[in-house]
Amino acid sequence: MSVRKGLSILAGVALVLAVLAHFNTSLGIAPYLLVLATSVLFWVIQATSWNILSGYAGYFSFGQAAYVGVGAYSVAVLTGRHDVGYPVSILVGGLLGALLAAVTGAVAFRLGALRGEIFALLTLAVPFILAAFVRINRDIDGGLGTTLPLPDFPGWVGDFQHLIFLLMLLVATLAVGTALWVQGSRLGRGLNAIHDNEDAAEALGVPTFRYKMLAIVLSGALGGLGGALLAVRNGAVQPELVFTLTVPLFVIVMSVLGGRRHWAGPVVGAAFVTVLQDELAAQELDQWGNIILGAVLVLFVVAAPDGLFGRLRVRPWLTVGVFVPVLVGLLLSGQYTELDAILYAMVAAIVAALVVDRLRPAPGAVSSPAGHLEPSAAPTEGARPTEPPATRPAGAAPLADLPQPAPPPVPPVAQSPPGELVSVAGVTRDFGGVRALDDVSLSVSSGEIVGLVGPNGSGKTTLVNLLSGAMPPTRGTIAIGGRTTTGLAPHRVAHTGVARTYQIPKPFASMTVRDNVAMAVMFGRTGASLASAREAAVRHLATVRLEHLADALPDALNLHQRQLLEMARAIAAEPVVLLLDEALAGLNPAEIDDAVAVIRRIHAAGISIIIVEHLLRVLNQLATRIVVLDRGVLIADGEPATVLRDPAVVRAYLGRQRA
Amino acid sequence: MTAVQAALSGALIGGLYALMAAGLSVTWGALRVINLAHFGLILVGAYLTYQLTTAWGIDPVLTLLVSAPVLFVAGAALQWAYDRLNIVEFNSLLVSFGLLMITIELTTQVWTADFRHIDAGENPYGTSAVHLGSIALPISRLVALGFAVLLIGGGHLVLERTFAGRGLRAFAQDRTVAASFGIDHRRLGMVVGGLAGVSAAVAGMVFALGNTIAPAHAYEWFGTVFAVVILGGIGNLLGSLFAGLGVGAFSAVVAVLWDPSYEPFVLFLAIILALVLRPKGLFTRRAAA
Repeated sequence: MSVRKGLSILAGVALVLAVLAHFNTSLGIAPYLLVLATSVLFWVIQATSWNILSGYAGYFSFGQAAYVGVGAYSVAVLTGRHDVGYPVSILVGGLLGALLAAVTGAVAFRLGALRGEIFALLTLAVPFILAAFVRINRDIDGGLGTTLPLPDFPGWVGDFQHLIFLLMLLVATLAVGTALWVQGSRLGRGLNAIHDNEDAAEALGVPTFRYKMLAIVLSGALGGLGGALLAVRNGAVQPELVFTLTVPLFVIVMSVLGGRRHWAGPVVGAAFVTVLQDELAAQELDQWGNIILGAVLVLFVVAAPDGLFGRLRVRPWLTVGVFVPVLVGLLLSGQYTELDAILYAMVAAIVAALVVDRLRPAPGAVSSPAGHLEPSAAPTEGARPTEPPATRPAGAAPLADLPQPAPPPVPPVAQSPPGELVSVAGVTRDFGGVRALDDVSLSVSSGEIVGLVGPNGSGKTTLVNLLSGAMPPTRGTIAIGGRTTTGLAPHRVAHTGVARTYQIPKPFASMTVRDNVAMAVMFGRTGASLASAREAAVRHLATVRLEHLADALPDALNLHQRQLLEMARAIAAEPVVLLLDEALAGLNPAEIDDAVAVIRRIHAAGISIIIVEHLLRVLNQLATRIVVLDRGVLIADGEPATVLRDPAVVRAYLGRQRA
Repeated sequence: MTAVQAALSGALIGGLYALMAAGLSVTWGALRVINLAHFGLILVGAYLTYQLTTAWGIDPVLTLLVSAPVLFVAGAALQWAYDRLNIVEFNSLLVSFGLLMITIELTTQVWTADFRHIDAGENPYGTSAVHLGSIALPISRLVALGFAVLLIGGGHLVLERTFAGRGLRAFAQDRTVAASFGIDHRRLGMVVGGLAGVSAAVAGMVFALGNTIAPAHAYEWFGTVFAVVILGGIGNLLGSLFAGLGVGAFSAVVAVLWDPSYEPFVLFLAIILALVLRPKGLFTRRAAA
């Protein structure tokens, strides 16, 4: 579904709801349903707000109550104490929510280590601090609570209940529309990549910090607006009612229950949980409410992490087809209240969808947008991870007489000036007291394949990390194509034309092989829409001969295929220089020949390569030059044949006694 | 003098923070489970002490004979379930948050949301204090510190000196390699989970000695205890002891010298600064990269 279509449907639904609510008395809709719907809409806002950051990007927040509280107290202070108009105070609520989110994000996302966990705990603390502040500060609350006047509104709206419903509907539509738009945009794809693997996303050119900040600010603004409306609805604000842990409990349960990766998940979850809570209250079982919600949370995280919506949307018509008749049937029977009928119909629809889904599993339907997995290739390959790929029987000819049916050309690379491409000047890198690289200088010209070798712990991977910008050097400068990259964020370094692979492949697990590569095209130097990026992705997959697995998920790939995927993703960014970090590690001889052929094809397309490798035999044939590191010091640099005979190199590799 | 008095008695409260943090820190560091349900266990420990002391009229410390085994089983069972369902890190936050909610609601059902406290008659530690010159140190807090030093010091020695401790550290660093060297992570994990449960029993007992108990306390512990865990270095037992004492003293001094309302701000500012400057905790040894 395109974003435009989705937004129009959303606007249509909102309009229908508004009309239904406006004429509720003439349509025979009971007033308490309007009250219930207002509650549902409030939770739709909060759950959607939570999901934009925590669902899409995977940064769990326990601090939703902070936004609710800030929004509510904006109204309480401005309107309740200083007689500012409601429209202003509600908007200020949204603004302050965004501001609080920006501050939280700017602090939490700057902390390097343990990003996700620290973020979760920091957000857990924020509402407590705010609550303490509000309780103590007499200009805000002082612990007594604040009451609010009834707002003025034009007569055509109806009564207060209609007004607050319309306001909630407006903000909920805004929230869901935002979530829908984000999901379809570059921002959404980037957040998804952050969720799957933040380092790889950054290395591919996704501006992860900016995207996370955007997501958290959107989340804070929507949460604040919702909180402001809550204050208007309740007519009173008390610290313990807004800064409560029930808020994060509710939004987390709603999103986990509904599904975290899709905008509709929190909507489904909010509707179900709110109706359930109301029913429990009606049965005077509300003290069991949190116990049931806690149990639902545990159950769903363990058993169905995709959430309900992941299951429901596989069979949308079945869900609707069960829900509507059951609802109408129960209502017509006259034995059930509307609330009971709605709840039972929801449960029936969910059960039906889950049961049918269990009976006839739709392969890959949840996570693969294309929806048609190749039936044989992917799963069997995954089951035998050590076997060579199906296209190349084991022990096949070495790469010289490879059957090469005209390898698809790699797209031409932007021409960079000839001569020096990578320049490393006097680079030192310390980790605590350990010097991993010591005054290393190195120059790579375009067209070269430079082999980077050295014993374990000699600083090879550190050098790759410095070149790709994953960490800054302690001293010295690095320039790519004449441009200094020292101090740039990794995604900016990527945009200067550096791409890398990881020794241990880091694919985006929730995306198909094709979309993994398409991410690199979208966020590469040229930038592209998702549709055109998907087309380009298939070309790059063909370069590494992985096109037959385009619709598989990375989990179904063996190690060799994952390494090839890493390479396809790297060249899709259209780099001028490609850093291969032990791309041949753990492969069998046939796979190594295959990978070497791929590396030659990439090189033939005009990409310079720096390859970290232990297999000197392979490097001897592949590299145009070899650079040797030993304990952080560059000890040799030159022709492969010369370097590999160098006594210092032999000593470094084989130990002193042999020298 | 007030600052010294505040720092000392704050450091003693810090013993309680350290006790609460120790179990959390170990399961996080060694088993990669961020167990929010630990706060629920502490709460249950506190209520068990209250209940048994009130019902049987025994010394509160003796209630550990019941609550420690009970919470050992609970902690081990939790870890068994986490391990069985392969719940680590992020998911453990969500699942244990759900479990914490359930625990808090259940304790509310049993003991109501009202404040409870052990009657002075049954609590020999409640009101008495040791006087050092003009400085008064409440007995209940000295008990807290004593248990903290005993438990955390003992745990530290076990981790450093015994085979099981080494196995656990190996397991924390690389599960697969540790498993291939014959370390049974399931059993080891359950023992660690159980010991975390015991630490929760002690922390709950100590809390019950000097405070009133209500289910909502579980939330109030969050901020300070996680601060102690992070400042001490995740998985670092001695670190959490020092961090506990430091945090206790620091916030008490801030409360006395400025205003109690600044306490949370100053504390969290300190944590954020510490995270920026020493992201792996204040008391970690510099690791070679």
